[in-house]
Amino acid sequence: MAIIEVSKLKKSFGNLDVLKQITFDVNKNDVVAVIGPSGSGKSTMLRSLVHLEKIDGGSIMVAGDNLVKNGVYSKPQEIRRVTSRMGMVFQHFNLFPHLTVKDNLEMAPRLVKKESAKELSSRSMVLLEKVGLADKASAYPANLSGGQKQRVAIARALMMNPDIMLFDEPTSALDPELTGEVLQVMKDLAEEHMTMIVVTHEMGFAREVANRVLFMDNGEILESGTPQELFDHPKFDRTKVFLKRSLK
Amino acid sequence: MSLDYFTSILKPMLQGSQMTILLFFISIVLSIPLGFLLTLAVNSRFKPLSWLAQAYIYIMRGTPLLLQLLIICFGLPMIPGIGQYLVLDRFTAACIGFILNYAAYFAEIFRGGLLAIDKGQYEAAQVLGLNKFQTTTRIILPQMFRIAIPALANESVTLVKDTALLYAVAVPELLHYAETAVNRDFTIFPFFVAGAIYLIMTLVLTLIFKWIERRFTFE
Repeated sequence: MAIIEVSKLKKSFGNLDVLKQITFDVNKNDVVAVIGPSGSGKSTMLRSLVHLEKIDGGSIMVAGDNLVKNGVYSKPQEIRRVTSRMGMVFQHFNLFPHLTVKDNLEMAPRLVKKESAKELSSRSMVLLEKVGLADKASAYPANLSGGQKQRVAIARALMMNPDIMLFDEPTSALDPELTGEVLQVMKDLAEEHMTMIVVTHEMGFAREVANRVLFMDNGEILESGTPQELFDHPKFDRTKVFLKRSLK
Repeated sequence: MSLDYFTSILKPMLQGSQMTILLFFISIVLSIPLGFLLTLAVNSRFKPLSWLAQAYIYIMRGTPLLLQLLIICFGLPMIPGIGQYLVLDRFTAACIGFILNYAAYFAEIFRGGLLAIDKGQYEAAQVLGLNKFQTTTRIILPQMFRIAIPALANESVTLVKDTALLYAVAVPELLHYAETAVNRDFTIFPFFVAGAIYLIMTLVLTLIFKWIERRFTFE
């Protein structure tokens, strides 16, 4: 069953078409890896799902509700409801620097869902435990490594109990030796059947953890399939060239 | 130079310092919030308000504070018709001038603080479901104030020294008493005492801001 349905998504910056008629579905429990050269529109596509980018045409439906239908956005309240089903993890973490790790996790559910302090505190500790950072609860983001920051960012997104997690190049800003710890947390999430869309340059992760891979190039999804299909038997030359360069 | 002479000139100068300190506190306590409101006005999506605020800041920063003080103290009462209602007590007039002038500088400092905040902070707040008000009060403003602290400290030190402009509108303050003593006793010594008092005031202020800065370092 499709939990996200995207059809004919269009977006332009000036007269540059960044997204040209993108159509795809994501099923519940899918782990979808989105790969492709930079500038291909991967991030823009992902960001449009949570209304960080406004699209110019097409439809986005999440769990049966429209975020945008044929280029017309739903009412603000409806948009909030739809986007609240999704958690987002950014390339540059975007933790709140003036809050401790624990407060980074607890602020949004406290303000948005009015959860009690006690409930929040126990839940945030469970999630910090899960990402291996329970001992950093009272640290500030400035005192964490990149990998630790990203794990906090993942825990922060999970605090809102999303049905779907979106990752926008979650390891691209990290030193190579720190990517492993973040990918491991994402792998754990996939094993718990979280629905995930991951824009990534980590071909190993895409091949090993994703059950579907989308290859985007020049504003469109050129091909998609299982990791085996896409990595071992790419249909298009552009895919082959990209894979050859990325797997070097 | 006897100790008696020193205490005899110090006493009026310390009295004058009270005026200086009072003006400083009134100005800073009122011009910071006003400056903050100006920043909000500049950033307003209602363009006429934004233009008005920008014009205000341009005029206040583009003309000498001394000129502004002279206009408020001596110029306003000359306006035909309403001038008679605009005769203010000198000290009050000076306070208004300082507040209006410094608010413009503080507004620019806060605007700089806002510009320094990464766009990712707004995006993270948005995807976590925070509304505009929550994002502004919980995420943006705390960071803006933190970024603004060093510049606020700098401007506040300038404000301490600018209080000497009270001299020009004949409100007796620290410098006034120093000069009176210099002219009367024909010695430069009172000027040095005045300088030392200014240094003590700015030192205390600097220490207070250092403490605030440390208090709001998130590490």
